Amino acid sequence: MGVSIVPTLRVLKPAAMMVAVGFVGLLIGYFANAAFFPGTTPVQPIEFSHAVHAGDYEIPCLYCHTEARRSPSAGVPSVNKCMGCHAIVATDSPLIREVARYYENNEPIPWVKIHDLPDFVHFPHKRHVAAGLECQECHGPVETMDRVTRMAPNEMGQCLTCHRDSEVEHGIDCLTCHK
Amino acid sequence: MSLIDDFLARWREYRAPGYYEEFDYHWTMTVDLDRCTGCEACVTACQAENNTPIVGEEAIARGRHMQWMRIERYWEGEYPDVKLRAIPMFCQHCDAAPCETVCPVSATYHNQDGLNAQIYNRCIGTRSCAVYCPYEVRYFNYNNHHWDAPLEQQLNPDVSVREKGVMEKCTFCIQRIRQAKDAAKDDGRRRVQDGEVQPACVQTCPTEALVFGDRKDPESGVSQMLGNERAYTVLEELNTDPSVVYLKKVEADA
Amino acid sequence: MPNVDRRHFLKLVGAGGVGAGAGFMLSESRKHPVEHLVPYPVPPEEFSPGIATWYNSVCSMCSAGCGISVRTREGRAKKIEGNPAHPVSQGRLCALGQSGLQALYNPDRIAGPLVRAGRRGELEFDPTTWEESLAELANQLELMRTAGRGGGVALLSGGVRGHLASLLELFMGWLGSDRLLHYDFNHPATLYAANERFFGESELPYYDIENSRYVLSFGADFIGHWLSPVHHGLGFGRSRQARDGIRGRFVQIEPRMSLTGAAADEWIAASPGTEGILALGIARRIVDQGGYQGEDLDAWQAALDAYAPESVAEQTGVAADTVARLADSFAETQPGLAIGGGATGNHSNGVDALVAVNALNHLVGNIGVEGGVIFNPPPAFGPTASRQASLARMLELAEDARAGRIELLIVSNANPVFNLPEAAGFAEALAEIPQIVSLSSFLDETTAQADLILPSNTYLESWGDDTPAPGVGFRVGAVSQPVVEPLYDTRATGDIVLELAHRMGLDLAFPWPNMEEYLKYSWREVWSSGTPDPAIPDFDTFWTSVVRAGVWGDDTRAPSGEFAPGANVVEGIGVAAPEFAGAEGEYPFALHPYLSNALHDGRGANLPWMQELPDALTGVVYGTWVEVNPVTAEQLGVQEGDVVAIESPAGSIEAPVLVYPAIMPGVVAMPIGQGHEQYGRYAHEHGVNPINVLAAQTEPDTGALAWAATRVRLVPTGGREDLVKVSGEARELGREIVQIAAVGAGAGAGGAANARLNSIPITVVNT
Repeated sequence: MGVSIVPTLRVLKPAAMMVAVGFVGLLIGYFANAAFFPGTTPVQPIEFSHAVHAGDYEIPCLYCHTEARRSPSAGVPSVNKCMGCHAIVATDSPLIREVARYYENNEPIPWVKIHDLPDFVHFPHKRHVAAGLECQECHGPVETMDRVTRMAPNEMGQCLTCHRDSEVEHGIDCLTCHK
Repeated sequence: MSLIDDFLARWREYRAPGYYEEFDYHWTMTVDLDRCTGCEACVTACQAENNTPIVGEEAIARGRHMQWMRIERYWEGEYPDVKLRAIPMFCQHCDAAPCETVCPVSATYHNQDGLNAQIYNRCIGTRSCAVYCPYEVRYFNYNNHHWDAPLEQQLNPDVSVREKGVMEKCTFCIQRIRQAKDAAKDDGRRRVQDGEVQPACVQTCPTEALVFGDRKDPESGVSQMLGNERAYTVLEELNTDPSVVYLKKVEADA
Repeated sequence: MPNVDRRHFLKLVGAGGVGAGAGFMLSESRKHPVEHLVPYPVPPEEFSPGIATWYNSVCSMCSAGCGISVRTREGRAKKIEGNPAHPVSQGRLCALGQSGLQALYNPDRIAGPLVRAGRRGELEFDPTTWEESLAELANQLELMRTAGRGGGVALLSGGVRGHLASLLELFMGWLGSDRLLHYDFNHPATLYAANERFFGESELPYYDIENSRYVLSFGADFIGHWLSPVHHGLGFGRSRQARDGIRGRFVQIEPRMSLTGAAADEWIAASPGTEGILALGIARRIVDQGGYQGEDLDAWQAALDAYAPESVAEQTGVAADTVARLADSFAETQPGLAIGGGATGNHSNGVDALVAVNALNHLVGNIGVEGGVIFNPPPAFGPTASRQASLARMLELAEDARAGRIELLIVSNANPVFNLPEAAGFAEALAEIPQIVSLSSFLDETTAQADLILPSNTYLESWGDDTPAPGVGFRVGAVSQPVVEPLYDTRATGDIVLELAHRMGLDLAFPWPNMEEYLKYSWREVWSSGTPDPAIPDFDTFWTSVVRAGVWGDDTRAPSGEFAPGANVVEGIGVAAPEFAGAEGEYPFALHPYLSNALHDGRGANLPWMQELPDALTGVVYGTWVEVNPVTAEQLGVQEGDVVAIESPAGSIEAPVLVYPAIMPGVVAMPIGQGHEQYGRYAHEHGVNPINVLAAQTEPDTGALAWAATRVRLVPTGGREDLVKVSGEARELGREIVQIAAVGAGAGAGGAANARLNSIPITVVNT
């Protein structure tokens, strides 16, 4: 006379179903969030299109992100800089009117940061620009994006791979990047 | 056995005289004890530069102060023939550092510039290094530290704010070294010149007791100081080969 | 599934919903927190993100006037260094100067104007506006002025110099009040008086420690807080190890080993208040040995007649052969330098003692020579008459207040309630003043009594200028500029005064819109006083270059002529036995208060870095203690941490004992700085204030507080209070950590190297 687990399973069946349904719900919720609210592609306060500026009009990256050439941080242009062109260009577009409103109120535009490195990383844009790296190598084809997406993971592996491949002097010494 | 053999082989390699010779710089500091007064300007300079936290009275009572630089004071003799001898003590950046060999995750290691590096986000807080350090210059973050607003506005953006559970210590102001190398590259130079980089303590020392520089450059200020007959290293018998060299205090009756 | 009932179906729907929600949240939690990039609407010209900008300015943490370079990033001050171009600090700075950042970013700063709501001292304040409070105050001042009652206004500030001092002078002049006083606990009033008497010089001379070969210091803690510690530190270091084959020696004479005493080659304990007598004992030996050959030798012999070795030894407790040895070394080793200050100058015989020290310099010919005492030119600008208040002058002010002669008191960055002995009765006198206005940045003990608080900017947010005192032997002027925007709704002291003047209708007398314009106007005169430089064709170029460099002036010391003291000066030389408050029988110990290395006179107590800076000699943090000699401790039956009451004729405080190996048995010492009742979260409720037990004893010539002239007794209370210390074993135990070399070993090397290291590449940008 053997012991059957079938009666036990029968008792557990409703609970097992609930777990299964719950798990499916979890997956749906997880991916729904990722699909509809992607963290890598946040919505900006003003729908600025890099595809228009850097793509169609071929404005060089460093024209607006001037600091990248001489500072560790690339910086984002001030609203003053935006108005440098848009005082004349496309002044009646609703988006530009919004930019103008920031400018008139002397308020900064609170852009959402897309490419972010942890605070313990020392990443000087200056050095990488001076070494002749294209912005796209880390930031992806920004000139094709209407809404910018973080393409590269910006994780340590990426740094090390590049530092190894391009034979950066002491490129894999921890202190080169860790502060 | 091969693991141990491998380890011993590497250890011998590290310990072989001249192992660090092939590298670029050998950052070294000299401390002239005949000039040092123990005024502690260096202590505050270090704290300001390196985001060292304010820990509070209770933590200090439990021996948990965090200043990377401290002045040790030793009394000699009894009243009235009594002397106080002060000595600044901070990470000695030993070329044969006991702390480096014990870290199970290699969060502390020796880099090509002769620096004893501490990588905070690699550290898992075993505190072995602090136990092995004969100079007791490694400090452990028992807490997350807090700066009452707006004191945090002073924090140096070039230095990480360390979290609970990691070890920290003097870095010879690696952020300043990095900046000097950066400036040298901008000028199209390969090497940092003598005097271009000074850790915060050296820069502020009112008696000019501290000198910092590259030992590899025979013309550098620090190389000249190393030639002084008063030069010695603390706890020399341990063979740790420190990169901090002290110059003996001069006393009339010695 | 056919057999799913309604109840079960709902459960499944619930499970699915909860699962989906959890999944959504899980995904959300894995996302990077949203960070914003907030650029300036219009980028400021002075800085770029990620790149440090340096501004040169002047330190105001003590009265030395060191030049500073402040590193800023994105408009925030990050680090203060010494200004390499400034001849006082030469790129160096002390611990207190470094922590000026914590005054700027102090969480307990007063953020805007406040008006008293509750009763005085209850700390109930309502916020008010600058417009309203300035209008009301100006109206009141104008009414008093036109009614001829302007004399009822008193203005009490901390030590100020330069054009801010001139502005205050001008303002009080227009009000018709002579009650403009500066009060600084550490002001060396007796040193000024002694120099005036002996040298006929009203400026402090330059003490050339750097080039001296033998320094004899009577109580002057010149590496601690005496006059200009950073500059003295430079001089000390260079005198020791910067000259080939020459190592400067120095001897410190004081009853309790200070930071300076610890650095000395020899530390000699003389009974408190007898240092001047010792100086004259040394002087007599020099004269007796034929070390002085001036025309007035007879006069000197007569004046020093009473200071025979045995009598000096008896009074000072220093053996006669030691006196002889010091005298011979001092006379032999040229150039030498004798300096006096600290407790020596702040005793009942302070001025006489410091005159005696000056006499030593004269006898061996160290005046006006390199490595000796060098006279300073008058300051390049600023008022000439000193407004520094002695204790006597402060007592007078208190008396005026009690008599109702003061209607309005303006206090500006001075804290007399903390820094004057309780016995002076200043706090009570304040209660009699109908209105008190404070311009302080912090709610200190004096500001707590104010009716109206108009908070001033810290020095890192203000325009100003300075002439360092003591100077460095040549003319120096320095400009301090704001290095950051004001953090709060505060204004610079100078701007407040100018605004008041404008609202009083004194536009013609005060035509400058703000302090910056006033400085520019005044510096035109400085510009025209200098030698014309073709590279600087106009004033604007000059001003820009001065602001950029942070300092202006000459760079060489002019030789001073022969010096001989007047006959009556020589005749008047003599130091009386010290007088103490409290009889020796009843109060067996002389109390030796000293300025804490970190907290200065208490001003540093609200800076957390300074609270956590271990005391330079004991390693104690966050507390006050009383230092006693090991023998005394044994006699009293106390150990470290035992709480004793320190009782003087003027009052009593309690503090734990610290057994200190380097203090005379008849002396007990206490650090000044703690014991704040107000002054913010970091200062509050740590230790006690030894100033409170000092008798209101004055030095008769100057009326200065003789803070070393109070006797106390120690009464064990039976309590315990463990001192919090950052220090390990107090003895080396054979570990040879600090190694010692013989004299002559490796001397001089490294001087050239250090000279090179003095120049730091700094990018300086001016506004």
